[in-house]
Amino acid sequence: MTELIAIFISMALINNFILVRFLGLCPFFGVSKQLGSAVSMGVAVTFVMSIASLATWLIYNYILIPFDLKYMYIVIFILVIATLVQIIELFIKKTNAALYFAFGIYLPLITTNCAVLGITLIVNTVEVYSLWQSVVAALGAGLGFTLVLAMMSGIREKLELANAPKAMKGLPIAFIIATLLGLAFSGFGGMI
Amino acid sequence: MLDKNALKKAFPVILLTIVVAISVNLLSFADRLTRPQIEAQQQLKIQNLLTGMFPDMSRYDFKNDIYTIYSDGAKIGYAFIAVGKGYGGDIDILVGLEDDTTIKGISIVSHSETPGLGSRITESFFTNQFAGLSIDEVALKRDGGEVDAITGSTISSRAVINAVRETAMEKVKQLDGSE
Amino acid sequence: MGNFMKEFAKGLIITNPVFVLALGLCPTLAVTTSINNALGMTLAVLIVLLGANTIVAAIRNFVPSITRIPIFIVVIASLVTMVDLLFAANFPDLHEALGIFLPLVVVNCIILGRAEAFASKNPILHSVADALGITVGFMLALLMISSIRQTLGTGSLSVFGFHFFTLPILGKQPIAILVLPAGAFLVIGLLLALFRRTGVMKSD
Repeated sequence: MTELIAIFISMALINNFILVRFLGLCPFFGVSKQLGSAVSMGVAVTFVMSIASLATWLIYNYILIPFDLKYMYIVIFILVIATLVQIIELFIKKTNAALYFAFGIYLPLITTNCAVLGITLIVNTVEVYSLWQSVVAALGAGLGFTLVLAMMSGIREKLELANAPKAMKGLPIAFIIATLLGLAFSGFGGMI
Repeated sequence: MLDKNALKKAFPVILLTIVVAISVNLLSFADRLTRPQIEAQQQLKIQNLLTGMFPDMSRYDFKNDIYTIYSDGAKIGYAFIAVGKGYGGDIDILVGLEDDTTIKGISIVSHSETPGLGSRITESFFTNQFAGLSIDEVALKRDGGEVDAITGSTISSRAVINAVRETAMEKVKQLDGSE
Repeated sequence: MGNFMKEFAKGLIITNPVFVLALGLCPTLAVTTSINNALGMTLAVLIVLLGANTIVAAIRNFVPSITRIPIFIVVIASLVTMVDLLFAANFPDLHEALGIFLPLVVVNCIILGRAEAFASKNPILHSVADALGITVGFMLALLMISSIRQTLGTGSLSVFGFHFFTLPILGKQPIAILVLPAGAFLVIGLLLALFRRTGVMKSD
């Protein structure tokens, strides 16, 4: 149990996907201008990351390794993610229209979100976690991603009104904010 | 009965199947081509690390996570990988033993410590301190041992030291048990 | 030939993938701690983008739109796997340093973006030019960022084992924050602001 908690905290805070591992930056700088849409995007990504980690773990350990097909991992992982996203999108569209409009529209973007492929690579090939550890790692990473996305969007909402130098407006100042957030998060290092 | 319409509908699926089939074949070919080379590279990396530590090594055995080092048929030491919990994540350390009690040397295989601070565990002024120490002397000076910590990086230093000492004790026990 | 040069040149500045389009940011930030890694990533992107653009342009007339994206993804993932194996076999140190960012080239928006926006509508020769131009633009951005981060962040400059110089003062006390993750954001933010201030790029 302690091990699982340690993995969760490490993935969410110490090795935060956006600020430390640089995964999922496109939505970080693209979507994150409104708090509401940032949280919806984060929840959708967390959901897909968890399911994708579970699915790729099973495929990697019960198909690719036994049949000596390890080299196919990149192709298989990305196809699994693309298929999952399609299925989830269809499912939500058919069953819950409100939910679909809340975050279904972000689903197509998620296939090419490096955070999703990133977590499947990390749990299977880098850290080599067990099944439960993988799911917990994915949840932690997803929540850390959502947290930082939400923080950033909150700051950028205020920033629209701030009187930044002309050349710094928009993307450059967003990068500077990310620097400060990154420094703050480096304080989590050594927690475990 | 296959009419034109059905064929047209099935075409994308057939096409995708063909593309995947080509991809699998090409990749399995690429895998067969590169696999011996990749394995040789990994062997070479371990061998380079071990000869750096035991310059007289002529060959080594790998069994139960322990490398046994031979020079012209005579056993000259052991080596193993110790894993420390550092500031930024796992630190992999190759530890060499001269005999049951003395450290031959250590070298950091991989780590993700803060550049400029914790990353200095890889520098020789830190790693050279371990050579010739007995296993129970591997501790920070302030903890009663013989190793100086890196200024400003006590967590990283202690992670290395503890991993070396604890893993060394464990492996010595394992070696005693097997002989 | 004029067209070839035009498609090549636009990738350098007008549609520079990193600075202007803000594409492919993940690898840009992650691998720019040293010039070696930046060049390694550029090589990987060059091989994959060149291959993907050529293949996509060659098959563009047979592929129905409904299966276009899945087929592009399989093509790109296969190319990335080959690069992954190639690097592991020939440059093991680089392979280790790039880590998961090598397989992550699959979802690098630059590659799928160019395949979808350019190569699926243009002939092979133009697509090759586009791939080369975009890669050179990517390389310029990576080199600029990594040389700043490596030189100031470690206090000295060396590329593939050749040592060029060690800075006075900084050689002993480098600005270590620049090689930390936070430093990556800082350098890109300041460079973007500089480009806008000097008029190389338009402000928002």
